[in-house]
Amino acid sequence: MGTMGLALPWRARISSVPRERGTRVEPSEHFAGGPNLAAVDAQGEDAALAAACRSGDLRAYERLYALHGARMKNLARNLVGNPVDAEDAVQETFLKVHRSIASFRGQSSFISWTYRILINTCYDARRSRRRKKEVANEDSEESPGLEPRAPGAHPALRMALERALAKLTQHQRDVFLLYEVEGFRHAEIAGMLEMTETASKNTLFQAKKNLRQMLEPPRTSAAGSR
Amino acid sequence: MTMNVTCSDRERIFEDGTPAEWAALEAHATSCPLCAQEVRGWKSLSVAAKQLRDYSDSPSFWPRIERALAEQAGRKAQSTGLRRWLLFFPSLSIRWQTALAVTFVLILTMSAGWVYFQRPVEPRDPSLLKSSALKEVESAETAYERAIDKLAAEAKPQLDNPATPLLANYHEKLLVLNSAIADLRAQAGMNPSNAQLRYQLLAMYREKQHTLEEVLEARQR
Repeated sequence: MGTMGLALPWRARISSVPRERGTRVEPSEHFAGGPNLAAVDAQGEDAALAAACRSGDLRAYERLYALHGARMKNLARNLVGNPVDAEDAVQETFLKVHRSIASFRGQSSFISWTYRILINTCYDARRSRRRKKEVANEDSEESPGLEPRAPGAHPALRMALERALAKLTQHQRDVFLLYEVEGFRHAEIAGMLEMTETASKNTLFQAKKNLRQMLEPPRTSAAGSR
Repeated sequence: MTMNVTCSDRERIFEDGTPAEWAALEAHATSCPLCAQEVRGWKSLSVAAKQLRDYSDSPSFWPRIERALAEQAGRKAQSTGLRRWLLFFPSLSIRWQTALAVTFVLILTMSAGWVYFQRPVEPRDPSLLKSSALKEVESAETAYERAIDKLAAEAKPQLDNPATPLLANYHEKLLVLNSAIADLRAQAGMNPSNAQLRYQLLAMYREKQHTLEEVLEARQR
């Protein structure tokens, strides 16, 4: 990738580098204390990136890609099930952002808006693929038809998790992926999925409960009592 | 100050616990095997979720997006020119808008008028008769036919009993002419506006008239 032309202090509230678990207040996000200056600063940076994209400067889009491209592609991969469709969805998202940046009014953060477009694009791609499958009289099961990816440390665990995720509701899957895999905060997820922070927390709780039921072996009778 | 939590607080803390509550739950779990198992199971999902992370970069991906963006920007620039012109209209005052609209209507009307008057005038097909002309032709034809019928009545005795071979020939010629006239009249009945048929019919009548005149002259000789 080429050198960035924008000389902006890019320390976004939604961090450019996916967070590791230790860096997020875990598992709750209740901050004690006064105003979050970093968040205020990040809002200005988010607005600056939006303004640069609105001006049509392709370097701003390159910056957006540098900050979020990898995470967008990974999220898309987990939503659509294969890397080819994931890349198509990310590219389509960039084009949609470019087309409709004029209509972005800043009700949510620019990054949240971008991820919302990405998630919708992924679901459109899934629906479109399912329709094609139906036309071809193929099996039109709900799961995204996951394809092999780069081997991880525990491929069996990953595959089991992918299968279990496919059985969750769309919202539960989205929240789990955004929070646990991509490291977003509930406030950010709420902006992306147009829900309240409380709803995001509750959805994550339900998602994890369901996943545990699906992934863990049945407990002994003694384990059920408190 | 140490917060006290019990097993019944566990699920609530899982859903929306503060860091202090989590610390208290973990402290409680050290002496509660069930809560210890639940906390481990809960946290293990977060660990497993890491398996779904793959942030490997593909070097050709950004250039591909950049190309698509540049193409879209090009198309956008083309359409902006037209849109800008269209957006210019509403920015004018109502007076100017009215004036422009009137001018446009005027130009449109004048253009339509010019096109109408400059259109090539198609020559009328002479072979087609209009209804008034047709009536005139038909009445003249009837009168002419009646006059010829009178002539034929005069020549009938000679023709019925031809005294000479010449009269016999005239007789045959008239039979042919009558047959031709009958055919043409039938065709003219189906296509009354066809002037060409009327001319042919007129020629046949003239021929019949001359033939009858020659028969009558032959009688006088």
